[in-house]
Amino acid sequence: MTVSERIDADFCVIGAGAGGAVVAAELAEGGASVVVLEQGPAHDPDSFSARPPEMLARLYRDGGQTATLGSPPILLPLGRGLGGTTLVNSGTCFRTPPRLLARWAAEFGLELDEASMRPCFERVERALSVSEVTPELAGANAAVARRGAERLGWSHGYLRRNARGCVGSGVCVFGCPTSAKQHTGITYIPRARAAGAQIVTGADVREILLERARASGVVARLANGQALEVRAPEVVIACGAIHTPLLLERNRLGGASGQRGRNLSLHPATAAFALMDEVVDMARGVPQSFYVDEFASEGIMLEGVAGPPAYAAMSLPLAGERHARAMAHYPRLAQFGLMVSDHSRGRVRSLAGRPLIRYDLCSEDLARFRAGLARLHELFLAAGAREVYLPLSEGVPPERARAADLTLMAFHPLGSARADARATHGVVDGDLAVHGVAGVHVADGSVVPSALGVNPQLTIMALATRLAFRLLGREVPGESHGSGPGRHHQDDEEAACHS
Amino acid sequence: MSSGLDSFLAGAPWPQRIGLRVLLALARRPRGALLLARVPLAEQAAFSTLVLGRYDDPAVAGALGWDAAAVVARGRALRRAEGRP
Repeated sequence: MTVSERIDADFCVIGAGAGGAVVAAELAEGGASVVVLEQGPAHDPDSFSARPPEMLARLYRDGGQTATLGSPPILLPLGRGLGGTTLVNSGTCFRTPPRLLARWAAEFGLELDEASMRPCFERVERALSVSEVTPELAGANAAVARRGAERLGWSHGYLRRNARGCVGSGVCVFGCPTSAKQHTGITYIPRARAAGAQIVTGADVREILLERARASGVVARLANGQALEVRAPEVVIACGAIHTPLLLERNRLGGASGQRGRNLSLHPATAAFALMDEVVDMARGVPQSFYVDEFASEGIMLEGVAGPPAYAAMSLPLAGERHARAMAHYPRLAQFGLMVSDHSRGRVRSLAGRPLIRYDLCSEDLARFRAGLARLHELFLAAGAREVYLPLSEGVPPERARAADLTLMAFHPLGSARADARATHGVVDGDLAVHGVAGVHVADGSVVPSALGVNPQLTIMALATRLAFRLLGREVPGESHGSGPGRHHQDDEEAACHS
Repeated sequence: MSSGLDSFLAGAPWPQRIGLRVLLALARRPRGALLLARVPLAEQAAFSTLVLGRYDDPAVAGALGWDAAAVVARGRALRRAEGRP
């Protein structure tokens, strides 16, 4: 590729999602010169139509149709553009469960603990205006789940989200039309730009330049076909857990441990519908506003999910006449989701430059789905549902479900360039520097060494904050030393089963 | 096919794009639908895609109480009034 333009910078950040945008803003505000290269476009909220097919095509990689190969095949939606997946997620914010931080310290040699991470979480939460959803804003779909959980005596609560001035448009995952969701494209990226960072969209990074085992820059192909070279002694890769290992592989980096692209953890998920007596209008309110964590210690988290008719029709687990009859009652349909903290582990490889994701649901996770679906059924019945529609092949009860009977999506890919202090066990070290090369760091979900059991955006952003301040050679400014608003979710200790 | 559904299909990676177009063509024909019924995964993929397009139609969605244009208009008005990005 012939380079047509060169830019010099202290740092080149690849990707403008949960990790990259945060690193870029903190570095730029810390006085460093920063260039951000984002493969996708900048999205204008004026173009958001609240219509699922069109928004899937525009805001998601592969039109929202990235999928895993394995049993069962799983759709894995990923955002694309400034904001990355934070542009199209539900906005749910959980801190990393403290028990996991302790486990990562013990098992992977990472110097992480609740006290040292607290300033990072507080800084991110302040930047994103994180607060708890009110019952009024949560809407009737959440009220159904709450009623069921209360009658069953199950632990539950309203979720904390990164939103400001939300009016419950109901389409968080199809582009927030009010810009209430504080994704990194409207929070950290403008801060980075205001501090002097150059943000280049449509930049597909092809090569990481090295000189004597040290980063010296990056070459990207631009949308107009020309090549841009950013000369920088420090490169931060933040392409997400599916694409970061591919970029590392293409540049023969981080492969010595044999772990690059392995250990892929997902949060496989599904959802059930219920026909209620009352009007629910599931798309009025915050779709993901309420959770039931009664079974979190078993790796099962129940969280709200909802959307407009096109979305509901696509996910309603019925066919033919039954589907049409149920959709005719859309205003009285409620929906709630089930997310599993997986033990299954997958692998990402490159096939002709595209990710090939292999992921098979292991028997432990299948058992979690069986149990989780039975509980979703119980939740809806306790809430007074007339009928419950489980995402299973017709006539298959939850306890007899096979992997092939499940209709799954997955979110939150993690772990494919996992952090481990030992070069023989991980792709990056405890400071998120790629083993075996100087000046290349990773700041996205790929470094997270195990499943979280909760939505990961705060974890990724807090780790990115920590990395930025370490690169600046400064402490993250301390905040309060109270207990903080993190959830006290009990996660299970897991032994991964690899696909 | 609606333009939204068409762009949704166009956004898919090429193997899925071709596969889905074939499945949709089959699903729209009686004999094709019978063939699809033998492969539940393919039948489900075709059906989900078809209903995604069908219920995205403003007239169909409107009858169920969902007005995407109104949601978007409210969002624009709020952004302008409050100086949001």
